[in-house]
Amino acid sequence: MQKKTVIAILLITLLASCSSPPGTWGWYVIDPTTKAGWNNITFLLSGFSATIQLSIIAAILSIIIGLIVVLPGLSENRWIRMPSRIYVEFIRAIPLLPMLFWVFYGLPVILKSMGINIPIDPFWGAILTLAISDSAFTAEIYRGGIQSIEKGQTEAAKTIGLNYFQTMRYVILPQALRRILPPLANQFIYIVKMSAFASVIGMQELTRRANEVNVSEYRPLEIYTLLIFEYLILVLIISSGIRWLERKLGADQRK
Amino acid sequence: MSKKALAVEFKSVDKWFDDFQVLKDINLEVSVGEKIVICGPSGSGKSTLVRCINSLESHQSGVIKVSGDEVSSKSKKDNKTLTEVGMVFQQFNLFPHLTVKENLILGPMKALGLSRKDAEERATTLLKRVKIPEQVDKYPSQLSGGQQQRVAIARALCMEPNIMLFDEPTSALDPEMIAEVLDVIIDLANEGITMIVVTHEMGFAKKAADRMIFMDEGMIVETGAPEDFFKNPKTDRCKLFLDQILQH
Repeated sequence: MQKKTVIAILLITLLASCSSPPGTWGWYVIDPTTKAGWNNITFLLSGFSATIQLSIIAAILSIIIGLIVVLPGLSENRWIRMPSRIYVEFIRAIPLLPMLFWVFYGLPVILKSMGINIPIDPFWGAILTLAISDSAFTAEIYRGGIQSIEKGQTEAAKTIGLNYFQTMRYVILPQALRRILPPLANQFIYIVKMSAFASVIGMQELTRRANEVNVSEYRPLEIYTLLIFEYLILVLIISSGIRWLERKLGADQRK
Repeated sequence: MSKKALAVEFKSVDKWFDDFQVLKDINLEVSVGEKIVICGPSGSGKSTLVRCINSLESHQSGVIKVSGDEVSSKSKKDNKTLTEVGMVFQQFNLFPHLTVKENLILGPMKALGLSRKDAEERATTLLKRVKIPEQVDKYPSQLSGGQQQRVAIARALCMEPNIMLFDEPTSALDPEMIAEVLDVIIDLANEGITMIVVTHEMGFAKKAADRMIFMDEGMIVETGAPEDFFKNPKTDRCKLFLDQILQH
């Protein structure tokens, strides 16, 4: 983490020092010593809060929906299993951007025809799309983790009288969680990056703000370079947090 | 013989795994308090028979009764019969993410509704009985195989079962740990609980069993009191089997 941060800062400095050939670089757009540059910087950075909110809420929803989807999917009865399989196959096949358009522009039409007048704002439209789209992957991650727990664990739980939900809650999920966490964390980073798509429906997050500054300043190289580093720093912070969490969960496990 | 209450009863039970018939017309009556040892070559259906008793496996035809109540061939939710029957597995199947104490109190608290205090009291008593009270706060992976299996026995006993099933309890253990586990099982046998044990430990069988059962190819081939069973096996199949395992 420390090393990567240092490299990131070095890269920025390097790029900034490239401004010698006139007309190539124009770091003045985000020069904190000038008033205009400072205004641009604060405007760009203020996109962080929306990106973080989008990602966290969508991830939490995705974790919940994924669990609801996966449990019937593990049933021995194929009719109980089937809706879960269909959900995963169907949702997994839809690219995020078309789904976003469908939810934001299409869903209100359906809701209206049903007499429900709920406007879908960019924030909740983006969260809904991210959560649903991601839940298919979350469900598959859960399935892998749960199925990797030996059958003997379920049998032992059964012989001491635990019912299905108690077995899941006290025996299977706590063990599966340690195996699920790394791929789930990976998926969270994916959500953070996919949240950039919310810019196309007008959500004021990092990418949208970069676009807006770019439209008025027309300095794409500098602005999008900064944008990339904004995501880089965000993701690096998240992954160090994940590593901390993994260590913490691993510590009390003793294999 | 006087008519005793039956702990477990099999009436013409058949079971298939797809096309393969694992249990063929099993008829067996186990009285309350009786100690049964089942032996036989691998694949003979011993484990399956035992696992049918607490419905870890379902049977396709015939009737299985536990303490007079029929074990359904379909439903898996016979919680009542399940808590009445304790089981010890070959692979221990302890919960690796929980300490010894947590392994023991989980069933009593969640399935029997005991308070934490009562459950812990029970756990302490039983850990003394299996002679490892000092391991209470360790995780299963910190224990030896023999200790783990004794914890597994204590975990089953925590539910205060009337019937204990042992499915090859010493087969996964290093030789020097077999005795410590068998000692615990023999102690238990002397306390009058009904026991059905699948094992190849013939020394143990001679000491603890009231009746021996020899299975082969899904059938009960021979049953008898241990003295007769070991001295005068009636069938050639059983004789051959005993010769092979008693040679060493």
